[in-house]
Amino acid sequence: MVLEQLTGNLLQGLVLGAVYGMATMGLSLIFGVLKVVNVGHGAFIMVGAFVTLWAFTTLGMPPLVAIPLAFLIGMGLGFVFYYSAIKRLIKAPELASLLATFSIGILLEEIVKLIFGSEFRGYNWVVPKIDLGVTVLPMSKLYAFIGSIIIALLLYLWFNKTRAGTAMRSVVEDTEGARVCGVNVGWVYANSFAIGIGLTVASGVLLTMFIPVGINPYMGGGYTLKAFVIAVLGGLSSPYGAFFGGLVFGLIENGSYTLFALIPGVEPFALTRFLSFVMLLIILLIRPTGLLKAK
Amino acid sequence: MRKQSAKYSPFIPVLTIYVLIFLIGKGVSGMWQVMAMLTFYCALGQAFNIFLGMTGYVDFGYVAFMGVGTYGMALTITHLAERGITGPAVIVLGMLLALLFPTLLSMAVGAVALRLRGAYFAIATIGVNEGFRYLIEGAKIWNGSEGIIFMSELNRVLGREAASSLSTFWSDVFLFVIATLAALVTLYFMRTRIGYALTALREDEDAAKVMGINVTKYKIMAFITSACFAGLVGAASWALKTPYVFPPEVFEIHYTIEAIIIVLLGGAGTLLGPVIGGLIYGLSKYYLSIFLPGFQLLIFAPIIIIIIVAFPEGIMGMVKEKAKGSSLARFIV
Repeated sequence: MVLEQLTGNLLQGLVLGAVYGMATMGLSLIFGVLKVVNVGHGAFIMVGAFVTLWAFTTLGMPPLVAIPLAFLIGMGLGFVFYYSAIKRLIKAPELASLLATFSIGILLEEIVKLIFGSEFRGYNWVVPKIDLGVTVLPMSKLYAFIGSIIIALLLYLWFNKTRAGTAMRSVVEDTEGARVCGVNVGWVYANSFAIGIGLTVASGVLLTMFIPVGINPYMGGGYTLKAFVIAVLGGLSSPYGAFFGGLVFGLIENGSYTLFALIPGVEPFALTRFLSFVMLLIILLIRPTGLLKAK
Repeated sequence: MRKQSAKYSPFIPVLTIYVLIFLIGKGVSGMWQVMAMLTFYCALGQAFNIFLGMTGYVDFGYVAFMGVGTYGMALTITHLAERGITGPAVIVLGMLLALLFPTLLSMAVGAVALRLRGAYFAIATIGVNEGFRYLIEGAKIWNGSEGIIFMSELNRVLGREAASSLSTFWSDVFLFVIATLAALVTLYFMRTRIGYALTALREDEDAAKVMGINVTKYKIMAFITSACFAGLVGAASWALKTPYVFPPEVFEIHYTIEAIIIVLLGGAGTLLGPVIGGLIYGLSKYYLSIFLPGFQLLIFAPIIIIIIVAFPEGIMGMVKEKAKGSSLARFIV
């Protein structure tokens, strides 16, 4: 009984984990290239969720079609914030970019609150469900799972097969070396930031399929924490590391939920969130370079 | 002797402002609550500045220390009232516990986080308030998500009359004392080797280390001191003012945001900065809540971004630069 429940939950965790991973790739990309930690990460996920909601309710657009739209909106936001603030802070002490991205997150939350209000919202996308024996999975979650993998693959191809992607990788390896070889580092910074934000906003679309009525201007905070755990699991500066970190995190989160639920007198959901914080501290303490990355 | 006292002359403007706030609150009718709110923000800024301003590290989970301080006071009052112990000594004990809890938590967090540098430190602290909140709710510690309501216990401990004057008057007086003490400790740090060591590590941690400064020791000192003041602010302004404590309220990241705004606005690492920042933020929040309720963050978020990009030294940082060489310079650090 417990074992069957555990398998079912782990399967759900794997599906959610892929989306978590995709939601963290932008964070890792930005840190890898610019060495800027986007503390406002969750707020961009929230923007993606609202893009989905708006596209679905006013334009009648199915959530999957909202992915490219969200990506473009995210890229736009990325360029705006890069040229207005981040660009000047790359060389400044870390404190400056940490506080700036934090404030950008707050600004986004407040703007969205101004437009949409602060109550919880949701949309109702009717899709069939499939029965996997141990658990029942709505097709929307399956789409999100497949969508995350496709986006991760596209990013991989773009990184490895295009000139712009190669330039980006060279900046991750050695900024000065890339500059000497004629890479326009400023342009790579701007692009990476915009793509990173674009991916994050697009991931907000996929995440709404797991929280149909949990869309709220302040929903991002929890995702920021999760994204940091995942990013650190994956070595912080590698988008693929982040993707696999997401899979691991999804499995741990859902698996531990099943196990915590066995302890009488506790709230398992709250404990899984405590666990993610403890995981963050432990990983940072023992392997700040990430569990998946060979040293 | 004269020289020794001159070292502390920057304390004069801070004290003057606090005394003025106190006198306006006492003298002008209806102003006490407003002045108390200003003091809360000044005290929060002073406490936060000890760590952020002096080390250049940012602690995104700062409110957790206020939260556990609040719990320290609440637990003392409920437990002692149950055992029939009454009198003002209970409040004193509560304050001690409000110092002990943040000390323990900051030691635990600091032991991990302070080994890490810059961005990694910030990442480690970002979940402290949420993590602690969910531990309390999840494991049902200290009554879990139901929180603690201790109105009747407080009345039993102090008597109805004294309890109500505690929440409307004395808790605010405590805040004045805490804010003043925090400023004094900040100045003491600045004027001793602690401050020099912290300045060195803020400017260049590796160089400071090479010079033989035990950077970890000084970082932990600043971290714990800052956390203790946060605990006291929480105990005085939350537990004593409104005798209840709920995890989602006392671990709300909103207060960390406010502390960041106050310190950056006034000038991180300056003595008078948090006071100026606290006054500006508190007053604008007060008036915005009358004319444009709910808009203060929408207004302050872009202001903070502009400050970080264009004026990273804040208001007092600029004043300090202007006052250099003039007779005012000895009052400003």
